[in-house]
Amino acid sequence: MTPPATAPTARGDLGDDVATAHILVTTGAGGVGKTTTAAALALAAARAGRRTLVLTIDPARRLAQAMGLEELDDDPRQVELEDLPDGGELWAMMLDMQTTFDRLIDRHATSPERARAIKENRIYRTLSSSLAGTQEYMAMERLHELHEADGWDLLVIDTPPTRSALDFLDAPKRMSSFLEGRLLQLLLRPGLAAGRGIGRMVGASASAFMRVAGKVTGMGLMEDLAEFFRNFEGMYAGFKERAEQVLELLRDPDSRFVVIASPEPPPLREARFFLERLEQEGLHAAGLVVNRIRPEVPRDPSDSAIERVAEAQPDDRQGRSVAGALWLLRDVRNLAGRQRRDVAAALYGVTVPARVDVPLLGGDVHDLAGLDTIATVLTTGKTR
Amino acid sequence: MTLSTPTGLAGFDDLLSSHVVMVTGKGGVGKTTTAAALALAGVASGRRTILVEVEGRQSFSRTFGTARWDYEQREFRPGLWGMAIDPADSVYEYLDRFYGLKRVQWVMERSHALDFVTTAAPGLKDLLLLGKVYDLEIQRRSDGRRRYDLIVVDAPPTGRIVPFLQSPEGVTEIVRVGPIQRQAGSMWEMLQNPQRLRTVVVSLLEEMPVQETIEAVHALRELGVDVGPLVANQVTVPRVSEPQRDQLRDLGASGLREQVTKDGARMSGRTSQLLLDLVRTHRDQVELQERLRDELVGSCALPLLALPLMTSPTFEVPDLEVLADVLALQLGEDGPHAQARFDDTELEAAIAAARPSPVSGGTS
Repeated sequence: MTPPATAPTARGDLGDDVATAHILVTTGAGGVGKTTTAAALALAAARAGRRTLVLTIDPARRLAQAMGLEELDDDPRQVELEDLPDGGELWAMMLDMQTTFDRLIDRHATSPERARAIKENRIYRTLSSSLAGTQEYMAMERLHELHEADGWDLLVIDTPPTRSALDFLDAPKRMSSFLEGRLLQLLLRPGLAAGRGIGRMVGASASAFMRVAGKVTGMGLMEDLAEFFRNFEGMYAGFKERAEQVLELLRDPDSRFVVIASPEPPPLREARFFLERLEQEGLHAAGLVVNRIRPEVPRDPSDSAIERVAEAQPDDRQGRSVAGALWLLRDVRNLAGRQRRDVAAALYGVTVPARVDVPLLGGDVHDLAGLDTIATVLTTGKTR
Repeated sequence: MTLSTPTGLAGFDDLLSSHVVMVTGKGGVGKTTTAAALALAGVASGRRTILVEVEGRQSFSRTFGTARWDYEQREFRPGLWGMAIDPADSVYEYLDRFYGLKRVQWVMERSHALDFVTTAAPGLKDLLLLGKVYDLEIQRRSDGRRRYDLIVVDAPPTGRIVPFLQSPEGVTEIVRVGPIQRQAGSMWEMLQNPQRLRTVVVSLLEEMPVQETIEAVHALRELGVDVGPLVANQVTVPRVSEPQRDQLRDLGASGLREQVTKDGARMSGRTSQLLLDLVRTHRDQVELQERLRDELVGSCALPLLALPLMTSPTFEVPDLEVLADVLALQLGEDGPHAQARFDDTELEAAIAAARPSPVSGGTS
């Protein structure tokens, strides 16, 4: 027997967030439907008369096409929509990490020569794509730029499908601690660390480490690193200040996070950690969206009745059809029950302002009609 | 049982012939489950098998209900070992082995030196992970046999798999001399040799995963890495055929309800209406699944193995054994767990769902 599935958290909708938030950040594990959810939220806002921009990280060509755009790039493009109320506009763009990072360098470098030297350094070229959290940080940086540019009622931003969806919260911190790191200081000014006690030991050992590292990796890497960070000097203050502004913007009550999961344990675990993390950081969760959930099946007939009746069907055309349908009913009930139990287990002890279950719709979302269907569920909690 | 629909793969020896099997796939498609099922199939075939995690997610320890996995290789089921490779442990082992620098570890931990170096030269982290896989592959027992007959790696997802496997090549661009450069060369040889390493790409028969799988297969081939069979995970087992759907539709909600309740079961009008809707969407899904399967097989020209969507009320370790046996049956091997769980018709249906239809698939 399957125990009855229960919903531990009040269901709700994101209607209020779509109508009032200035920034919505969608986040969650890979493959849970973040990009689609972000687009649907933005569409709902445009339909509510807001000038909205959705900023995605994924080169989701299909989604761009669904919105009637050839492709997305770093400049916002307007989506053509009919029957929008006054003021309602939908724009979409795709974040280009490299362009954003380059602009950041141009803004903060102490001279154009230094900016060029940094951009030509091969460490920089790999850094922009790989420093843990850089992608996430650049997304937030771009968000801040757009926020300052003004004129947008709502910015909906999709985060990269990182293994850990938490990374981008750390990104500004990690970036500044990386830039201020002790080892970096040693590399730039080896003399500084020759202090006393632990400092001296670490300093001496770090020099030993650098020798080993040089030997193991070949010297080129270390020289490039040193050159890279020398050029970075003078930029740290600007970077740090910017990182703090970004965090401040995210902490504003009008910036809200929409956590997204599919109804399976691994993405639900990520969603849970994320919800807890938001609370710790003083950030505002709009709610949890559980995508692609199976419809709940009523308790009649019971599982044992299904089995009995299906097996009792005569072995003729109609009997086999009815038996097949009954087995299907049992399959769906089992899956729906499993999904709801997994959701309930993952949310045990976690408070969520709103939880929206988006039902499994046949196939992917291909067009605005599909996005509208999801938008309706997200804003009203109902399929229509 | 003998399957009426061959896969083009003959036995465990065909599927598990490479020393290393790298399992990749789009996020959320069940990469970890597939890797675990492949490892169990390896054990069932008598191979000394190790299951390797590289992304520090502790997925296998959760799946198998063991304590946390770490750098230590431990046997957690008879014939099946497990380990989680961490780049830091890998670099300490490396420095200790090649330079006798065990003591450097403390300094490196204190100064976060490793974070620093792997951050600045990102390919290095992948190289360290891959380096340990290479190390497992070249290890030998005292009698000269390989330490593990089969190494199954839960590899990074399709979005990251190419840079991951490319790391030996990428690093040689940054690091021009020294032992890392030499070892990167040996690793590259392993990656290019189908006897030693192949990738298995897992997909769902849904639109976005199928597109991403096709792109990944082409990118992996471009890289010169062998791509083994594709695995279609969570394949919906057809419960109702197309004519049966039409028949049920004609029967209508009240007819269906009458048929079910005359045998003494309860079924409300609401449930019977819902059931008719479910039958319709089920058929839509099965048809979409068939179309995507043909597209997948057609554009990749690879054998496709099916793992059915398990509709049991829970998903536990015995379900993995069933999945491993479903794989075995598709290779013409025995699959006792699968046969205990499903009747032959269900098994045929599950597996046939992954066979390309004769007209459109498989030959291009």
